[in-house]
Amino acid sequence: MSSPEQRLVESDLQGAPFRIGVTKGRWGFAEPGAAAEGAAWPRTYFWMAAATRQNAPDRYYVELDLSGYRSVPPTGPFWDPVKRQRLEHGKWPKGKPGSRFAQVFRLGGFSGAGSAFYHPYDRVARLNHNQWPSEQPHLIWTEKHTIVDYLEEFQSMLMSGDYVGV
Amino acid sequence: MTMEKVAADDLAARHGGDHEFFLHANGAEPKIGKGAPHETLREVLIRVGIIEDGRGNTLVFVGECDVALRESDEIEDGIDKHEPVDISLTLEVLEVHRHRHVHCHTCRHIAVEVNFGGKTKRHRFSPATTVGVVTEWARRKFKLDPESASEYVLQICGTTTQPRSDEHLGKLVDAPVCSLCFNLVKEVSPQG
Repeated sequence: MSSPEQRLVESDLQGAPFRIGVTKGRWGFAEPGAAAEGAAWPRTYFWMAAATRQNAPDRYYVELDLSGYRSVPPTGPFWDPVKRQRLEHGKWPKGKPGSRFAQVFRLGGFSGAGSAFYHPYDRVARLNHNQWPSEQPHLIWTEKHTIVDYLEEFQSMLMSGDYVGV
Repeated sequence: MTMEKVAADDLAARHGGDHEFFLHANGAEPKIGKGAPHETLREVLIRVGIIEDGRGNTLVFVGECDVALRESDEIEDGIDKHEPVDISLTLEVLEVHRHRHVHCHTCRHIAVEVNFGGKTKRHRFSPATTVGVVTEWARRKFKLDPESASEYVLQICGTTTQPRSDEHLGKLVDAPVCSLCFNLVKEVSPQG
């Protein structure tokens, strides 16, 4: 039997905001063969479409830990759907030097580097950053936030001019 | 669990006889609507409780509106041409399966003003316009450098609320208010 938090995820995934993103090709579930061997709740896999860049994929996958949803923020890294493992650092999307994009998807300088995003929505990155609620109050995860807020935030970044490829 | 069930629902919606679409209304989260091609939009909207028998003052728009993005830079105080539909027509005739979105609103337009750098730009948008379209319109109107424009987002005046780009203006206002004020602000990079 699924847990209350699983049922809440399921409800949000069947809701119109998530489905609208799917119909627009902005995000979706990873195909079953993309997940890690034996993966089970709370590990959940999605893809997000990215802007066209030379020698870069048209979508990026993420492996999210959704335990405690929605009262606990998600966390997770980019994912390799072929090798079924965390995406090698060399294949992470890159941003213009000094951009917000480059900062969010940085691969060093914080405890979750390479396994989380440096962003207030991310459970791991949020730790030890007590200034973020005052600096970016709109991006502090609350029980009102859903998986759509998460996907929309990062997918928008992957479509932005600050994204340069891999 | 989740993925299989939702994927199955997707498949059923694509191959079933009903049209699946997204219903948007004043100040509310969108909902998924379904209806047979031969049903009138009025019948569907009454069935799901968005309108009562008798149309009242609800205007219904089909599809999303992005005409502001084709407006020339010189135009000030522009206005979207997105006409409400006749809800006595069927879903098939209205091509709801292609447009996917149905917006029910009491506002014919939403008067938006965006502030940036001490200047204000105005436009009367269709309620069926996404925040993403308004953001792109504002970046162009203020002639932001395309290289850095993506870091500028809309924030509702007097708040710290930055609506998601996929949200529609119609969700952000409650009748009888048919206007919105935004500031175009630079998104903060996480630091520390």
